[in-house]
Amino acid sequence: MLRRFRLEEPTSVAEVSELLGRFGDSAKIYAGGTELLLAMKEGLVQYERLVNIKGVTYLNEVKQNNGEVHIGALCTHRELENSPLVKEKLPALAKLEENVANVRVRQVGTLGGNLCFAEPHADPGTLLIALGAHLVAEKGDGKREVPAESFFVDAYETALEPDEVLTRIIVPVPAQPSGICYMKFGYLERPSVGLAVAVKLNSGKTAIDDIKIAVGCAGPAPKRVAEAEAFLKGKSVDEATRTIPEAGETAGRASQAISDLHGAQDYKEHIVQVLLKRSFQNALSQCT
Amino acid sequence: MAMTTLRHSDLQTLPISFTLNGKLQELDVEPHELLLDVIRDRLGLTGAKRSCDVQVCGACTLLVDGRPVSACTTLAFEVRGRSVMTIEGLAENGKLHPLQQAFIEHGGFQCGFCTPGMILAAKALLDQNPHPTEEELKHFMHGNICRCTGYKKIIESIMAAAKNISEATH
Amino acid sequence: MQFEKQVEIQAPREKVWNFIWDVDQFIACVPGCKEAKTIEEGKRYSATMVEKVGPFKVEFPTTIEVLERDELSRIKAQASGADNKIGSRMKLDLEVKLREEDNKTILQFVAGVDILGKLAALGHGIIKRKADQVLDEFAQAVKKRLEGDS
Repeated sequence: MLRRFRLEEPTSVAEVSELLGRFGDSAKIYAGGTELLLAMKEGLVQYERLVNIKGVTYLNEVKQNNGEVHIGALCTHRELENSPLVKEKLPALAKLEENVANVRVRQVGTLGGNLCFAEPHADPGTLLIALGAHLVAEKGDGKREVPAESFFVDAYETALEPDEVLTRIIVPVPAQPSGICYMKFGYLERPSVGLAVAVKLNSGKTAIDDIKIAVGCAGPAPKRVAEAEAFLKGKSVDEATRTIPEAGETAGRASQAISDLHGAQDYKEHIVQVLLKRSFQNALSQCT
Repeated sequence: MAMTTLRHSDLQTLPISFTLNGKLQELDVEPHELLLDVIRDRLGLTGAKRSCDVQVCGACTLLVDGRPVSACTTLAFEVRGRSVMTIEGLAENGKLHPLQQAFIEHGGFQCGFCTPGMILAAKALLDQNPHPTEEELKHFMHGNICRCTGYKKIIESIMAAAKNISEATH
Repeated sequence: MQFEKQVEIQAPREKVWNFIWDVDQFIACVPGCKEAKTIEEGKRYSATMVEKVGPFKVEFPTTIEVLERDELSRIKAQASGADNKIGSRMKLDLEVKLREEDNKTILQFVAGVDILGKLAALGHGIIKRKADQVLDEFAQAVKKRLEGDS
């Protein structure tokens, strides 16, 4: 049984933001509720008001805008896994969404809610960082874009201000020849280690033009591992493939892995190394 | 200690109407009521079970607009204007649904606790994908947990039902 | 959970020692700590600890008991508190040691922290990180205050 709360049902982002500003800590945005209601049931959080953001209907569209895919924050995981546009332009994201939690969570859980709750053991944030996505935060009549790699500050903490609303996720469509791969490892309900790689090769497909690597779930927040990227960038495909274990070690150390029920720190760092090798090979095979 | 922002006048009753197993249902609910509690305790339909309570096991699966949701983690007012199906609504005029028939014939349940959720999830699967491969079936049913059967018979039952349904419609 | 911290303070030992027993100054260095009161001078104190991890907030009314005191060198204390709203309890065993080295004072903390109840659901790793952060901030705040006005 949940504690009693009052339901607010605004129909615009400005209204949502105003309610959050007015009621502060005693109000919270409610979308799919797949994380929020669990925390409320556990008694870990209490709110006097839930702001039902699903009334702001224009937040659940997926659109293409020049070389970018714009994803509304209220898109459910299920909508994204089935979206023709996402499947065509960002197949790695569609595949990730297909494997979030279970079909019932995917049915009502939203991408925006997932990102804003910032549970350490989650999937989308990691891939969005590797894709160089930007998150649009709005309040009142103000709007700003936060790069995904700066969005996740700490466990359960994002860069959003208390009265800001995440409205859109902007993902650039990767330039070719490129390969994107997200892999996760876990045996509990939530993933224990997640890793995303975005590789762009030169036109001759012989060398790494650009590479982005992000690690999630192992540490308190998903993060980009620039050190491992720098190690691989510019190398020939052969050289990079040969030295990927070293890059994996660097990525593991940089992941800020925490020892917990999902595994010890060194175990997680090792898994990072394994996932980097596999996802890098997968991404390379997409390029050729 | 922060002062509460709520006043007595803030207490809400939300009148909702939805179809339940094909029949119109009209109820007043409070915002914090969970769908599982309304279905089980207020409407007396106890097929859906509270098991893990964290939407991991699927024993509370209900179909809302034909799609599976965890009733334990759904606020009751969310079904306003929608259609809800529970396991009690699957059989028509006393005739078992092919899935129910298949689960009986193929031994798809032992204690039966997970079964209402299993069958409803399988229905949602077959409604969307009438001829799933075993891989597709396993992926869709991944969130419905059974402690008794080891899943083999459940898979057999669903595949058999899929065959029966498609044969019946051709 | 066990923690060990050490901080070098450019201040004489006696000044550091007196600082510790100045309840208001000391408590001001503990992040999230407020409403400190002396119940029995040198023996018992009370305070409220407020900590936040994302949306999860705890408020522990805490009692602190001084168990052992070796003048100018060591303090052993115990603190405990409960947040009934969130159904969690906190226990802290703390040992503080001071020693002089050159013209500096080395302040050393050894802390054993236990979190019981619902809050533990957040996960040992997250809580340990938070506790580590709090102790770090505390040590730095003490250093800053003591070095600041010398």
